[in-house]
Amino acid sequence: MQLKHRFVLPLALVLSAVMLYPVAFSAWISLHDYRLTRLNDVRWVGLDNYTFIATDPGFLNAMGNTITFVIGAVTLELILGLGLAILLQRLVRFQNFIRSTLLAPMFITPIAVGLMFRFLLNSELGVISHYLGEIGISIDWFGPQLALFSIILIDVWQWTPFMVLMFLAGLESLPKAPFEAARIDGASAWLTFRSVTLPMLRPVITVAIIIRALDAFKVFEYVFAITRGGPGDATETIMYYIYQAGFRFFRMGEAAAAAFLLIVVILVLVIALVKATKSNTEAPNDV
Amino acid sequence: MSYVSLKSVRKKFGAVEVLKGVYLDIGRHQFTVLLGPSGCGKSTTLRLVAGLEPVSDGQIFIDGQDVTMLEPRERDIAMVFQNYALYPTMTVEQNMGFGLKAKNVPASEIRTAVHKAADLLDITPLLARKPGALSGGQQQRVAIGRAIVRQPKLFLFDEPLSNLDAKLRVETRAEILNLHKRLNATTIYVTHDQEEAMTMADRIVIMNQGVIEQEGTPEDVFFHPASRMVAAFIGSPVMNFFDGVGTADGNIETPVGIFKGFPQVKAGQKVEIGIRPDDLLPAEPGDNTVTGQVQLSELLGVRAIIHLQTENGSAFKAVVDHEIYREMKLANDASFTVREGRLHVFDSQSGQRL
Amino acid sequence: MFSFSTRPARIAAFFAIVLALVVVLFPFVWVFLESIKPPSLGGRPDVWVFPPTGDNWNNVLFQSDVPSNILNSFFVAFATVAIALLVGCPAAYAFSRFRGYHGARYSILAAEMMPPAILILPFFLVLYHLQMIDSLAGVIAAHLSFVVPVVTWFMIGFFDEVPRDLEHQAMVDGYTRFQAFYKVILPAVRPGIGAAGVFGFVLSWNDLFYALLLTGGESRTLPVAIAGYWTFRGVDMGKMAVAILIAVIPVLILSFFIQKHLVRGIGGGAVKY
Repeated sequence: MQLKHRFVLPLALVLSAVMLYPVAFSAWISLHDYRLTRLNDVRWVGLDNYTFIATDPGFLNAMGNTITFVIGAVTLELILGLGLAILLQRLVRFQNFIRSTLLAPMFITPIAVGLMFRFLLNSELGVISHYLGEIGISIDWFGPQLALFSIILIDVWQWTPFMVLMFLAGLESLPKAPFEAARIDGASAWLTFRSVTLPMLRPVITVAIIIRALDAFKVFEYVFAITRGGPGDATETIMYYIYQAGFRFFRMGEAAAAAFLLIVVILVLVIALVKATKSNTEAPNDV
Repeated sequence: MSYVSLKSVRKKFGAVEVLKGVYLDIGRHQFTVLLGPSGCGKSTTLRLVAGLEPVSDGQIFIDGQDVTMLEPRERDIAMVFQNYALYPTMTVEQNMGFGLKAKNVPASEIRTAVHKAADLLDITPLLARKPGALSGGQQQRVAIGRAIVRQPKLFLFDEPLSNLDAKLRVETRAEILNLHKRLNATTIYVTHDQEEAMTMADRIVIMNQGVIEQEGTPEDVFFHPASRMVAAFIGSPVMNFFDGVGTADGNIETPVGIFKGFPQVKAGQKVEIGIRPDDLLPAEPGDNTVTGQVQLSELLGVRAIIHLQTENGSAFKAVVDHEIYREMKLANDASFTVREGRLHVFDSQSGQRL
Repeated sequence: MFSFSTRPARIAAFFAIVLALVVVLFPFVWVFLESIKPPSLGGRPDVWVFPPTGDNWNNVLFQSDVPSNILNSFFVAFATVAIALLVGCPAAYAFSRFRGYHGARYSILAAEMMPPAILILPFFLVLYHLQMIDSLAGVIAAHLSFVVPVVTWFMIGFFDEVPRDLEHQAMVDGYTRFQAFYKVILPAVRPGIGAAGVFGFVLSWNDLFYALLLTGGESRTLPVAIAGYWTFRGVDMGKMAVAILIAVIPVLILSFFIQKHLVRGIGGGAVKY
């Protein structure tokens, strides 16, 4: 065996065991009526699971919720992250302390974040709700209208730091000279940001959005910790839907089919996103 | 009346004072070169004039207006940076037009101005490209083009040729001079390359350790260096220096011989005499001559550099014609007299010209 | 505090940062206060001044399963990271150095992004058949599925930054390629190994999804235990706060040391800063 393959062999073995085999097994499951309660009676059903899932209102609702969640959370995180990164870059004192503090949320286990906000925003016991109530504002954070939005806010609290981390590194690595040239050229702060900073930061922004969006599709813990999909099915996300289908109703075949449909949706979105960010940057006669 | 004027300008970075009170007056339409070794404060001076850094103390005037507290954009200047500082995400055309766009000039006018400048610099075919797709020389021209389009009061160049190869450097040098003649704009140009300074400047400002050592025409600084530092910095090969002491009868006594006729030197005053290698002429031994043993000779073409060593061990160089070079033999002695009026005397303590 | 040119901009920036700090810190302060509140006041939103008590800490640390949950979490994360580094480092080195692995680089990224929903069913079923539900080995296997790709991706970026001349020099000096790798290159990327290891550790330590479905009873990890404090019957706020702090504090301390290297790792050689 070639030397270079020997370096890769251990990784290939491990990933075959914990990824390739499970994915293949999952694909096999998705083509069968595979129920945990009827393991002796597993029947081939072809694409039935897929057609059932693709037309299941519960799945479509969960997919809709998830996409709303991903777009809402990532957009807010992008804007806040960019703003905070610019502030942090201009910070001349206490930089290390403030930076480390603001990055802290992204390292915490999401279940803890979910539970903390579960009780901070709780309509009877929650500190935030309590003091909002004192000044006459009554918000039912986890009611039917706001529950998904509240979950988005929690994700923003935890993951904006990731954006800050990426953008701060991006900003600090930009060459200084173009910014001095822009000052000499007399560009206002806004024009400089729009015409110089943003275009130069674009590759980092694209990567950050993709990483964050892919991760946001996996949202589970906040839903599990706070709403369990409710009220009704207002916050049922795709991961929670699959969890329910597989482990509460033991319909493994349907859960597997839903998981593969999720991958298709993710792929389509990623390709669209990459295309969208690319087409903007190409100049007409770019060489 | 001067067009750009610096009055007692100081700049500190933390505890380090890099400019220690600079006074400078620059006339309208002049091409002024700031020259000096690295760390002398020349680039800092330029950045203060540009407004990229605030002054720590002092005042800066452009066209009679006190601009000390103004932002770069309020000073109406254009600058060409050492690494060109092109906007990597914009095309050449957008790069060149950006300064006008920032002033809200209508798009059609920007287009006209950019194309005019591009014609002038022969870069019209590059307009649609991005900086990443240009060679160093092309980027350099775009950077100059970007400055021209603005039609500013003042052009600033920060070592613009230092990233180019030798041939391109000479070509671009000529081109910048041509542009200067055509546009007749006031220009401040920073470089550490004395050849660039000598060939381009109307006036040279030589800086050292945060102060101006000498200011004058290229001839002034070459033939009448105000200090030992200037004398040593300008000219190639480097000027020869010998320690000496003044005598009561107006002569200078040095280990290599006696030099007569320097009434300005007081008796017992410690001095250094400086002689450019080009100013040493072959002669018979005697007063006002230097004698040394030939150590090495380098033929440059028509002329040659002879490396010599005096009896007491000080080394010096002489530049001689080809014919004389052929007569010089290794390890033989050779004597030189000094061209009339070309012997420079500096006070050992202050380094000032005497 | 800020290098903005105008005073209003500096003032606005100051308030924005203070607001951000308050938003980030407030939940931590609250959860800490809850952990030392007397149980009788637990969950009262309007009580800020009270005699602090160590009851909750005592209870959680000495009379609950939390210490064994901590050990489980630690063991799982440690074993996962050790295996991931062992198989990930040589592979990342090969991806960084040898021709023909360009595609492999990005398939690692794709593996990193694989939704756990696809993998959890087979893991569950296989472990179920092997009667290994409730075993730490099962969780470790599951965690390998996301920690191995992350660690490998991180290391590719760090290996990319080591000049090739370094191992060429070592090989000229008489080392084999493999010797050059582990005697010269590995020591050169030690900070990267640390960062990748800590990041992988944090990912494993924080996981709820796999641990929730693959453990139970004896083998529960800390996140599962935290989730267990809230049931439909009610919540013991003070004890939950203690468990949260125990889960969060070590991770915050660890993360502090790797922040510098984190961006390079996440970029994995795909983003050139």
